[in-house]
Amino acid sequence: MRPRAYLLVALAASAACAPAPEAPPAARLQITDVLGGIGAAGLERALEPREFSFPADHGPHPTFASEWWYLTGNLQTAAGRSFGYQVTFFRTSLGAPPLPRTDDSAPGIDGSAWATNQVWMAHFAVADIGPGRFFAFDRFQRGALGLAGATAFPWHVWLDDWSLEQDGSGSFPLRLRARERLEAGGDAGDEVAVDLLISPLKDMVLQGDRGLSQKGPTPGNASFYYSFTRLQTSGTMRIGDQRFAVEGTSWLDREWSTSALPDGQVGWDWFGLQLSDGTELLFYQLREADGSPSAHSGGTLVLADGSSSRLDAADVELTVEHTWISPIDATVYPSGWRLSIPARGVELRIEPLIENQELDLTFRYWEGAVSVAGVGLDGTLVSGRGYVELTGYAEGGQPR
Amino acid sequence: MSLLAVSSRRYLLAHRWQFGLSIIGVALGVAVVVSVDLANDSAQRAFELSRDAVTGRTTHQIVGGPGGVPEAIYTRLRTSVGMRRVAPVVEGFVVLPGGDPGDAEVRRPLRLLGVDPFSEAPFRARLQTGPAQIDLGAFLSASNAVLMSRATAQDIGVGVGETFEVDAGARRRLILVAGLIDATGSDSDALADLLVADVATAQRLLGTAGTLSRIDLIFDETVAGGELLDRVRAALPDSVRLVGAEGRTETMRQMTRAFRVNLTALSLLALVCGVFLVYNTMSFSIVQRRQMIGTMRAIGVTRREIFGLLITEAVAIGVAGTVLGAILGIGIGRLLVSLVTQTINDLYFVVSVRELAVAPSSLLKGLLLGVGGSVVAALSPALEATGAPPRAVLMRSEVEARARRRSVPAAVLGVVLLLVGALILALSGHNLVFSFAALFVTILGFALMTPAAVVVAMRAAAYPMSWFLGPLGRIAARGVTASLSRTAVAIAALTIAISVTLGVGIMIDSFRGTVIRWLDSVLVADLYVVPLGRVPFTLEAATRAQLLEIPGVQRINTVRSADLPTADGGRVQLMVFDLDARGEAGFSFASGDPEAALTAFRAGDAVLVSEPYAYRHAVGVGASIELLTDRGPRAFAVAGVYYNYASEEGLVAMSRTTYERHWDDRAISGFSVYLDADADLAATAEEIRRALGDRDVDIQSNRVLRQAALEVFDRTFLITGVLRLLVTLVAVIGVFSALLALQLERAREVGVLRALGLTPAEVWRLNGAQCGLMGLVSGVLALPVGLALAAVMIFVINRRSFGWSLEMEIAPGILAQALVLALLAALVAGVYPSYRMSRTRPAVALREE
Repeated sequence: MRPRAYLLVALAASAACAPAPEAPPAARLQITDVLGGIGAAGLERALEPREFSFPADHGPHPTFASEWWYLTGNLQTAAGRSFGYQVTFFRTSLGAPPLPRTDDSAPGIDGSAWATNQVWMAHFAVADIGPGRFFAFDRFQRGALGLAGATAFPWHVWLDDWSLEQDGSGSFPLRLRARERLEAGGDAGDEVAVDLLISPLKDMVLQGDRGLSQKGPTPGNASFYYSFTRLQTSGTMRIGDQRFAVEGTSWLDREWSTSALPDGQVGWDWFGLQLSDGTELLFYQLREADGSPSAHSGGTLVLADGSSSRLDAADVELTVEHTWISPIDATVYPSGWRLSIPARGVELRIEPLIENQELDLTFRYWEGAVSVAGVGLDGTLVSGRGYVELTGYAEGGQPR
Repeated sequence: MSLLAVSSRRYLLAHRWQFGLSIIGVALGVAVVVSVDLANDSAQRAFELSRDAVTGRTTHQIVGGPGGVPEAIYTRLRTSVGMRRVAPVVEGFVVLPGGDPGDAEVRRPLRLLGVDPFSEAPFRARLQTGPAQIDLGAFLSASNAVLMSRATAQDIGVGVGETFEVDAGARRRLILVAGLIDATGSDSDALADLLVADVATAQRLLGTAGTLSRIDLIFDETVAGGELLDRVRAALPDSVRLVGAEGRTETMRQMTRAFRVNLTALSLLALVCGVFLVYNTMSFSIVQRRQMIGTMRAIGVTRREIFGLLITEAVAIGVAGTVLGAILGIGIGRLLVSLVTQTINDLYFVVSVRELAVAPSSLLKGLLLGVGGSVVAALSPALEATGAPPRAVLMRSEVEARARRRSVPAAVLGVVLLLVGALILALSGHNLVFSFAALFVTILGFALMTPAAVVVAMRAAAYPMSWFLGPLGRIAARGVTASLSRTAVAIAALTIAISVTLGVGIMIDSFRGTVIRWLDSVLVADLYVVPLGRVPFTLEAATRAQLLEIPGVQRINTVRSADLPTADGGRVQLMVFDLDARGEAGFSFASGDPEAALTAFRAGDAVLVSEPYAYRHAVGVGASIELLTDRGPRAFAVAGVYYNYASEEGLVAMSRTTYERHWDDRAISGFSVYLDADADLAATAEEIRRALGDRDVDIQSNRVLRQAALEVFDRTFLITGVLRLLVTLVAVIGVFSALLALQLERAREVGVLRALGLTPAEVWRLNGAQCGLMGLVSGVLALPVGLALAAVMIFVINRRSFGWSLEMEIAPGILAQALVLALLAALVAGVYPSYRMSRTRPAVALREE
């Protein structure tokens, strides 16, 4: 399970309680506030494992409150310059049930294509490892009029001109395009952009119990969750007037649910690691208010042959070895870990490629490229790259 | 305190009524100027604020023709072009229902602005102020949720979560207040009567699904910004235009300019009357003090000192009058601002003015005009008083003799001024300010001719007067000439005031008459059908056939009114007609051969333009104008210029056939129905309503429509009427003050007459006769002057302001009115002095000096 469902909930909370410092006074006519209205009325819940059907399930599930297409990856140029990137599309249903229509208008006569209860958010971040630069952007859009949305045939997810779409007749390869001007909200000037082709090196992995990922003790407090844990990625990366041909591996998470963060939990640390021996390790740790890990933490180990096995909270030991202090408000983030799976003999050191990979956006969190080194399965020495997500540390990134 | 100052103070105190009245005169004049200026400014400011509220930081706009801007363009800009600072806007009006439907007077329009919260942030800061009071979930997902400023909500009497009714599109809808925008000061003004809704809600309420009113964009003024602009332009279809955002605001500002200049000029007329009053008072005070001034000069007071004294007095009057006037002006301004707003709403666009903004610049203008005018008015009498040698100043007879001698050169100068005025009119082209300057020169010219006219008139009046009243009559007539230095100014002031009243009256009458004749020629159909809320609709062939089957219905002519964007960011109103011969007869042409024009109009790619359009855009028959069709900009030949008094901005008329060749729009804005002579209007209207099914329409007979049009006309001229009244009021006060002073000064003369045996009743008769004579002379002189002013206003000012040609129409009643008014003003002014003189014992009167 990758509990990013909370991101949207948290986003709502953050917008209501603590606007970003540079934002205008609280009640702006801006969409960040809209996400406060998420509720579960009339929406479907993930109660038991389902029969997945592809490519249909690559597309949207609007009867669930929230859903995302989450891409992260580590890329290199031929000369060895490294980059991390993240592009995420979030969909959410405005739970607020439509108010009773008080007019007698017949639909069709005055129906508007702008009307919708689907709201989209997307994040785009690039870590330029060499010079230690980090760029992060977010966008919001309504899921109407072709401005933002998702389809399964063809596989296409987009918000404005950020898009993930199949590049041929099959679901893969996917083409990912995103770009943003460095000057906030600008339409001109230097930009950061990615244009990547993405194909799976391994088949998808269903997370949790056959794709049903339980998040808390309450039934329905779960999501449907599948991942492509190793995707061959190549294309171009542009930063300002520099253009790089890059290659590397990515990780795609797909998840949809109608659930809320259980009481008492404040955030999570998520690890998606791709090791040199062909295995991938997913582990997330939910944190209780007192800082202790929740019993619902867990993960998945994916072997080189594509087979996978579940990890429980008790299987994994996670120790923070370093911390990093955000220059924004001195929030302390963990920044360096030792992760071990004693039963399997795995012992890994995880370090961020750049310390500052904090996304100072409407919702504030840390998500960044990391390097991995240590002992893998069967006692072999392994190295690797991955992505780590840390939420619930900063003001404005606090899940409820 | 110097001797001079003491004497001045004593004099002012002794004649406090006289000075008091001239202060009131200046005050009223200044008040009118200040109030008009404030009202104009407030309306202008409200307009700009509300433009600013809806335009924000927009630098460019994408605007379209009759169909608006297809919303797919927005998606294209967001996704393919990847433009970020781009926001959709749906704009329109809903109306707070009040009283009877159709009664525009009590129905208050509210501007409905449909925006997209996802793209708003960089654009309209004014919509984003205040603490959180907004249920944005409801804002997005409810089909009728709006935001408004707290002040507007209080005004309407609703709170958050409450609903209220509006007429939107062709329906009555319930609107939900989803939140309040807390705004203060100018922000609150900018948001006055503004409802903010989601694009979807606005489209639903206004019935404009699929289209946007415009797309707002922000481009940086950089090379990259320019490149992006080129890319956006390249992505647009031919049916829309990308224009600078300033253009539209500027055209709207230009639109009301003529209206505002006219009001200002009219207010200046009031001030002119006020200044005349100061002139009168000052000349009078100098005549009265001639002996004192002579004595002072004789004992060594310099000319400069005397001059300074008199000018100081004038400044004192000016300052006192101006201060009073400014205060009064703010009060009057509060009344005027609603009239100005009403007129702007009727003629131009909807603007909401919550309160009068008291601009310091307006008050400064008033001060300069009030004090400056007073000083200028005092200059000539002061120079007169100081220019003559001491002995001459002492001699009253010398003063009057000189006044009579000077009446001839003054008249000559007057004629010269008239010629100068005519010359300015001829040379000033379209310039409105110069036109008004010419009008003022003309007025001054007539004023200068007054003394000579008085001399001639009194000579002529002497015989009939003596026949009528005996020797008293002759004394009355000769008396006017004998004190010409004073009577002439009073008569001139009254003449000017009455002629202004007369001129404005004739102008309004002529305008109204022309409009009535035009309405009669245009409103030839029996019934006019428009959808409620003026939302265009399509009249399907089947419905049309059904309508034609209704017994009594002969023909149906349709009209489509569409706004097209011009290249400079302005708009042009296109009227598309589907007319038969009877409908075509409604066109009467100012230029162009009617037969040829109509032939071209019917078949060719030709248009007809209304007179104001031709004037404003300087196009005539044979020229061509560019219109944005659905296939891009295209030139259309102008086949004729037709009379039309419905739109001040001007109209372009096109036949339906031509329109459908170049535009895909098939909607109509309304249609007219011709009935058999014996058809029952009400019953047929009911049948039509039934044939149109659930479409809510307003069906009006030509009589009702004509009435409604005239009501709007009268409403727009209400402010002119009010100003006319104020001008008259200033003038009457002026005349009252002049005659009062004159008659009081004659107390000694009357004392002599009383001593010689004149009874109090005879004093009444003498004074009455003299005042009457002066009033009559003013009235008679005012007739030609008023007619001349009317002619200038009708044929020059009005044409230059609006481009309309009007037929001058002079009702005998209005002339008689002017005469009676002059006579009454003079007689009323004579009552108090007569009363005093008749009561005074001759001995006292003789002792007074």
